[in-house]
Amino acid sequence: MENEMTLSFAAISENEALARMTLTFFVAALDPTLEEISEYKTVISEAVTNAIIHGYEEDRSGIVTVHAALDGREVTVTISDQGGGIENVEEAMQPMYTSKPERERSGMGFTIMESFTDSLSVDSGQEGGTTVTFKKKFSPVQETCSSVG
Amino acid sequence: MAENCRISTTFVEYKESGKRPLNYEPKGGIHMNQITLTSGGIVIVRPAGELDHHTADSIKREVSRLIFGGKASAVIWDLGSLQFMDSAGIGLILGRMRDLGAVEGGTVILNPSPTMKKMFELSGLGSHLLEGTQEDAIKRLGGILHGK
Ligand SMILES: Nc1ncnc2c1ncn2[C@@H]1O[C@H](COP(=O)(O)OP(=O)(O)OP(=O)(O)O)[C@@H](O)[C@H]1O
Ligand SMILES: [Mg+2]
Repeated sequence: MENEMTLSFAAISENEALARMTLTFFVAALDPTLEEISEYKTVISEAVTNAIIHGYEEDRSGIVTVHAALDGREVTVTISDQGGGIENVEEAMQPMYTSKPERERSGMGFTIMESFTDSLSVDSGQEGGTTVTFKKKFSPVQETCSSVG
Repeated sequence: MAENCRISTTFVEYKESGKRPLNYEPKGGIHMNQITLTSGGIVIVRPAGELDHHTADSIKREVSRLIFGGKASAVIWDLGSLQFMDSAGIGLILGRMRDLGAVEGGTVILNPSPTMKKMFELSGLGSHLLEGTQEDAIKRLGGILHGK
């Protein structure tokens, strides 16, 4: 199956749920398992939250853009912002690294994203904002299940 | 329906949560979070719906208030009816562990979903996880709080 979508929204925390929900519906036809879908939602939530609180420092006029493309049972999702960017991506991706310890961040976002995806890349410069791209392949639907229900 | 079959995951997910997709995040949904204080000074937090950066704050304020007011010395996070959690949940729990300060080990994380469990394990909180009832969690805390 091939499909594609783009969603842009204001950098406000209410929209984290909007992004999760929209991207969940986008892959619903693949009938992922509950665990696959909740891992996928978590990754989206991590990246969108990062764009809002780190990229835009909660400046509500920022715009976050999410693009998703389906190729067979694999989805490729890109989450981008035009915010402040990451100075040192390698350091930012270390487990427990956070630039905002006072804000109850645990610094586990990137570690969680890496563990719940098949591949993850982060492209950031101090001027051009940040783009996070991940791929996740959903396991094939079990034949034995199709007759039940 | 066989338990492990995934006939329309999205639908099942909403059905289980008792919410309609279009009413995804109801206003005042925050009130579905239950926070109770036992006579033994244990706060039991049972968040519902989705725990993210947007919804974590009100739980933080209430639980911190109980800890700093000297009313609570342990927290049970009962995640059995939580539909979704991201790293905001980890920050919330680690933050309250910091609030508890000297009370070593006064935290139990009860019945997380498999995805949440992975996140807690990645974050070094694996030893606080427990599958069971709130009574089991209270018993475990009793051992920790009075056992030395
Ligand atoms: N979109 C972004 N724009 C600017 N900086 C970012 C962005 N995403 C991440 N960062 C930087 O990378 C760091 C690590 O991100 P990560 O998601 O791993 O942790 P966190 O957001 O600080 O905490 P947590 O995700 O556990 O709540 C952030 O603290 C921030 O400095
Ligand atoms: Mg983060």
